[in-house]
Amino acid sequence: MSTVLAIDTSTSRTSVALVADGKVLFTKFHDDPIAHGEVLPKLVKEALSISKDIDLVSVGMGPGPFTGLRVGISFAQSFALGLDINWVGVCSLDAMAASINEVEFIVSTDARRKERFWARFKDGKRISDPAVSKASELEKLGVPIFNEGEYFPDPVMLANLALNNNSVEQPIYIRKPDAYPLPAGVKFRVMTALDLVVATAIEKEVYGKAAWSGAQFKEEFAKAPKDAYYLAAEAEGELVAYAGIFFVADVADIHTITVVEKYRRKGVGRELLKRLIDWARVKKADAIMLEMRLGNDAARPLYEQNGFAEVSKRENYYGPGLTAVVMRKELK
Amino acid sequence: MALVLGIETSCDETAVGIVNDRKLLANVISSSVEQHARFGGVVPEVASRAHLEAMQQVIKQALKEASVTLKDIDAIAVTAGPGLIGALLVGVSSASGLALALGKPLYGVNHLSAHIAVDRLDNDAKMQPSVALLVSGGHSSILQVNNLAKDVIVKGATIDDAAGEAFDKIARIMGLGFPGGPVIDKAASDGNKDAILFPRGLTQSADLEEHRYDFSFSGLKTAVSRYLQQTPNYLKADVAASFQEAVVDVLISKSIAACKESGIDNLVIAGGVAANSRLRELAKQRCEMANIALRIPPAGLCTDNGAMVAALGSLAINEGVKPSQTGLSADSAASIAQVIW
Repeated sequence: MSTVLAIDTSTSRTSVALVADGKVLFTKFHDDPIAHGEVLPKLVKEALSISKDIDLVSVGMGPGPFTGLRVGISFAQSFALGLDINWVGVCSLDAMAASINEVEFIVSTDARRKERFWARFKDGKRISDPAVSKASELEKLGVPIFNEGEYFPDPVMLANLALNNNSVEQPIYIRKPDAYPLPAGVKFRVMTALDLVVATAIEKEVYGKAAWSGAQFKEEFAKAPKDAYYLAAEAEGELVAYAGIFFVADVADIHTITVVEKYRRKGVGRELLKRLIDWARVKKADAIMLEMRLGNDAARPLYEQNGFAEVSKRENYYGPGLTAVVMRKELK
Repeated sequence: MALVLGIETSCDETAVGIVNDRKLLANVISSSVEQHARFGGVVPEVASRAHLEAMQQVIKQALKEASVTLKDIDAIAVTAGPGLIGALLVGVSSASGLALALGKPLYGVNHLSAHIAVDRLDNDAKMQPSVALLVSGGHSSILQVNNLAKDVIVKGATIDDAAGEAFDKIARIMGLGFPGGPVIDKAASDGNKDAILFPRGLTQSADLEEHRYDFSFSGLKTAVSRYLQQTPNYLKADVAASFQEAVVDVLISKSIAACKESGIDNLVIAGGVAANSRLRELAKQRCEMANIALRIPPAGLCTDNGAMVAALGSLAINEGVKPSQTGLSADSAASIAQVIW
């Protein structure tokens, strides 16, 4: 005799089942993408009113939106610890696929950011690792897709799978945390007039005729710290990047984010941008604006990731035929 | 006498403490701070993942340290806010799972009040009424504590940055590292605290009328960054010491004023910044002069830990506070007015 408590919080649905030797004693769910934490204990309490005699906990390990997913796993592990019984982790997509009668198909759940968590099944077995992709990519695979909404991980199936499979010990996150390490060996500090000999040389190299002079920098420095903020990045004792922003009439305007060739694509620009945005927030700016040369838009994805959107184009901004793309990020 | 297990996951420490009424039995902390250092600040998703990974082991270790089993535990307490929501939820869910499995009451408690409650442990001093200075990475306030579980009045708070935040930001500008509190404390130890006179926020007479017990650290931050920009050859130790002095001076002056003006001769200093050595030293000097009994928990219990959560849970039981409902909501922005959920 074995009674399994099954829990899944990998989708917008929180579901719980109590299954004793194939017999379903209790099953219930609640749909709310942000209430797993409140709902799960209530559902389990209800299940416990049917039977307190539990031998095993089965929990959906995802993939799924991280915060909700962890509610189920954290609860299940501690619940098992409290009863001094084992817990078994199951891929939530397997519990979703188990009730679908097709030869070959895909199950997919909402991964947010216009993406889907999914896995492919054939003859009752999963034939791909859980993955995350754009919905349009999935359609190209040409097999039927069963989506979250009509289908959900079934807690009764989850209970059954726990008895016959190896435990998935770690949450199935797939995505890495949205965090970027600071570039190793690069130090960030305030930019001063002492940096200008090197900075003006970098300007000439990077911008040619549009390069700023030392006097132009000094004019901007004079507005700091109240209305302007200039930062320098240094590696091996040398200036390798700098960035500046100034504040005028409720909007902060990014003047420059310049990284020397050798230090590009190492996260230096990302960190400088982050610090400029932080400064604008402290200054309570309504928005941040920047101009970027059309055709020279290697940094465009970085700006877009940080919430900047194109608002207009200015022709001949950088000289004849050189168009500027104006981007804006709202802070309010 | 109740045996309480407390769980704390509001930021980057996964911590479990066990207390028996006012006696500390176990205090186990697993920190993800090293994982965050390379990001220059706590990354919520990184912290939340680390909590889940560490939780089971930390609970088991605490039980071992206290030489008790889960069956002996009378109640579970957990930080329900304020804090990072994803991080809080790992602790609250774990605590809910334990409480339901064990059939024991669950107390969702306020992280800020818990910082003060830790002062109950391993002594039998009468705590109330008292003035409490609560200083941490996210909070800086002066409270009048008539009854920690039931009656806390906010006398003042920061109007911009928290004290701990100011430490983090200045440390970042000076390139000293993260978290800022310990690195500035260390850098300041070789410095002259009187080298640079940095401004003391909200201490002018005009400010005192409206903001008697409030703090402001943004002007200080600006002053320090201006100084650094204008003084290329600055001495790190002197800047650190002078900055630290400006923060500590205001914190203590206003706390002592709050004691005097409310006729309360007990001051408790709590929260992560209470681990700062200069704060502890100056508070001791000034309280002696003012005839105020000063209590500061041991530095190791000032930063986030599970013992403080258990201590507040045990206080709630002693005060006859009802346990929290099943399915309590973690609240990332909870105010100190909500002590027990």
